Amino acid sequence: MQQQGGWIQRLLRAVKGHGGTLSGLLWAVGLLSLPALAFGADVAPAAATEYRDIPYIGSRNLVWVVAQLHLLLAGFVLGVPIFAWLCEVVAWKTGEKRYDKLAKEFTKLLTSAYATTALFGGILLFLLISFYPKLMNYLTDIFFPSFIVYCLLFLVETATLYLYWYGWDAMQDGGKKKFHIFLGFMLNFFAFFIMIVPNSWATFQASPVVLAEGSDLARAWAATWNPTWWPVNIHRLIANVVLGGYICGAYAGIRYLSARNAEERDHYDWMGYVGNFIGVFGLLPLPFAGYWLMREVYQYNQQMGITLMGGFLSWLFILQAMLIGVLFLGSNYYFWLGITYRIPGSELKYRKPMLSMLLILLLCLGVWMTPHSLVASLEEARKMGGTHHPLLGVFGVMSAKMTVSNLMILVTFMSFIMYWRAGKEETAGWAKAAKAVMNSLLVLAGIAVVVLGVWGYFVPAIVRINYFSTSQVLIVLFVMLTITPLTALLLKSAKTTTEMVWGKMPPRAGYALVLNAVMVILLMTLMGYARSSSRVHWHVYGVMRDSSPYAFSPALGYAAAIMALNTFIFCMITAFIFWVATMSDKAKAPHS
Amino acid sequence: MSEVATLQLIGLMIVGSGTLILLLIRAQFARVIGFVGIVLGLFTLVALSVPQMASLPPIEEKFDIATVKTPTDMAAIGQKIFFSKGQCALCHTIGPSESARCPDLKGIGAKLSREFLFESLTQPQAYIYLDYRHGGQPKEYPARMPYINKNPIGLSKNEILSVIAFLQQMSGEPISVNVAELEVPGQTLVAPVKVAQSGPVDVVQAH
Repeated sequence: MQQQGGWIQRLLRAVKGHGGTLSGLLWAVGLLSLPALAFGADVAPAAATEYRDIPYIGSRNLVWVVAQLHLLLAGFVLGVPIFAWLCEVVAWKTGEKRYDKLAKEFTKLLTSAYATTALFGGILLFLLISFYPKLMNYLTDIFFPSFIVYCLLFLVETATLYLYWYGWDAMQDGGKKKFHIFLGFMLNFFAFFIMIVPNSWATFQASPVVLAEGSDLARAWAATWNPTWWPVNIHRLIANVVLGGYICGAYAGIRYLSARNAEERDHYDWMGYVGNFIGVFGLLPLPFAGYWLMREVYQYNQQMGITLMGGFLSWLFILQAMLIGVLFLGSNYYFWLGITYRIPGSELKYRKPMLSMLLILLLCLGVWMTPHSLVASLEEARKMGGTHHPLLGVFGVMSAKMTVSNLMILVTFMSFIMYWRAGKEETAGWAKAAKAVMNSLLVLAGIAVVVLGVWGYFVPAIVRINYFSTSQVLIVLFVMLTITPLTALLLKSAKTTTEMVWGKMPPRAGYALVLNAVMVILLMTLMGYARSSSRVHWHVYGVMRDSSPYAFSPALGYAAAIMALNTFIFCMITAFIFWVATMSDKAKAPHS
Repeated sequence: MSEVATLQLIGLMIVGSGTLILLLIRAQFARVIGFVGIVLGLFTLVALSVPQMASLPPIEEKFDIATVKTPTDMAAIGQKIFFSKGQCALCHTIGPSESARCPDLKGIGAKLSREFLFESLTQPQAYIYLDYRHGGQPKEYPARMPYINKNPIGLSKNEILSVIAFLQQMSGEPISVNVAELEVPGQTLVAPVKVAQSGPVDVVQAH
């Protein structure tokens, strides 16, 4: 049943008794000898070699770490331009210069982040060619035309980034600003294609479409447009916005914690607010994109869907629930701290709603994290009459989980709206009616989601999946798409009763922002493992079998250790990029 | 020490180090690193506390025709395939279950002929079983039966016959599959679908 990589034991055994120096030396030698392994490990003709390996670490682990870091960095460099461009547009439209400054501050990161991402991409490519020559040969044969497209996209993306960044100050006025914003749009446009092209390679491995005949282009196109391509594209696009927002928040949080004067505190408090705002803005529709992706996986192959949701990966979704739950709690907590500390007088007014929302979120999280089958001893299982708990078992099924996840989205949306409206008084004549409509919509939506969830227990699964769950999603989306523009319209003519006070947030607000970013990164690493493991022992599902010694998917605990390692390395790389990019600013800034 | 225990120890050490940093160090960046360490350590510890199941590639049941003497031997192999390579138990139950995504297979060997079973495995859309459990109009089951003789499951004819033997034996029926029906490898092309071994693959994988 259990099989692990065992590399930790092997490594520990290898260095046992030789002290830390030898251990460090081994690591150093291992890392330095990588290129030699890649190019000189096998003297046999390349076509005959299916796999190569490296000692101690294992080829799969190394590829896992590098691929994950590349993907996270790619998410960062694709998410940040969206974030920066949105800020620039807000600055252009509202005339608030600080948004423009924020956009510029983040665009500055892109040049170094872009190079680091490309560096990891290059390392990944070399490692894949070295360790998996057979698979890479096969993928190259199919995707050769899209490789060329990918290179071309990189060229235009790089050129656009240079123009966008180096032209920032020169294109600030009138038509030039418009052109600069257009450049920002094009930067994101090319970035989107840079994301979806490699997505096709990865999704092809999970849901391949292989043509036996046809031109290179026809075969590549058929393989590209595979069943999970677009769901993954949309899911990743939204996730990148979330990542960009929360990383901005975390950066602001750290700078806020170490701020040396009131001006810095004000600025980074505000930056944290913007980062969290954009992160939540992307987070709210993200579960729907995930739901669509899972639907497509089930449509494509039932076994793969069941392996994910009901097979050996089912416990992964409990961990996912935990991470998403903490993310929702962290985001809401930051909103509530903002209401309490930034808007004087609001604390008393909103204390009760905040407590109610906290209670609902915790209850929902408890339900979402309830496993379908409990870990029980034989004796306990006998007493329960199986692994399903007589009471808690009700919460372990999809009907309950879909309901609570939708309720959590609704609650977070309420926090979002509450924060938006705090400290303002609507003056429009129709404000009362609008507020009544919005409140009724929220209450009715909550009731409808619960009713559909309970009803879901009494209908066949197919009815629940196709109609009830979809209706729950559509109801919540409808609420969000109705209330957001209505609130924006309402606040356009609103009078500010209490000015927001920046720089007064307690230190825990900074840590909440860091926690949110870590949760998003962990979620990305977790779902990367899920996506890869859902292929089980196939490189290309149902087409090319993995016959390497690593054809198994490791258990969650072992995988989580690698995910944690990847998250930590990524955080350190990002911190380094931020440090390098802001070094000159610090040197220029007058010492306080 | 097992790998799980080793990782738990590492996780605890990271959480402990993070806590010490938060308690003793005043530099903000170091404190944030300590905080991140605590979060990552706790995440790993939680992940280590859930059931540790790895997904192993299915074990190939070798058909040494010489060792398969009776239909009971075939049923024994079929049972192994049913729960491993065949992935039957991923969706099917043997005995009633409310949450079953596919028909219950208890007694199926007595209800259906071996030819029908063979067709259900190799041409699953030829006749679709409906779900009558909930009253009213019968509905299709949520999970669609895959082609068992094609990838990704890809059972050979010998393996399919063995699964049928197991289903019949499990249902208390005499096993109608004969050992003489087994194909000797190398004499007959068994696999109906080409599997990529090397070079370009020419398989059409339908949506």
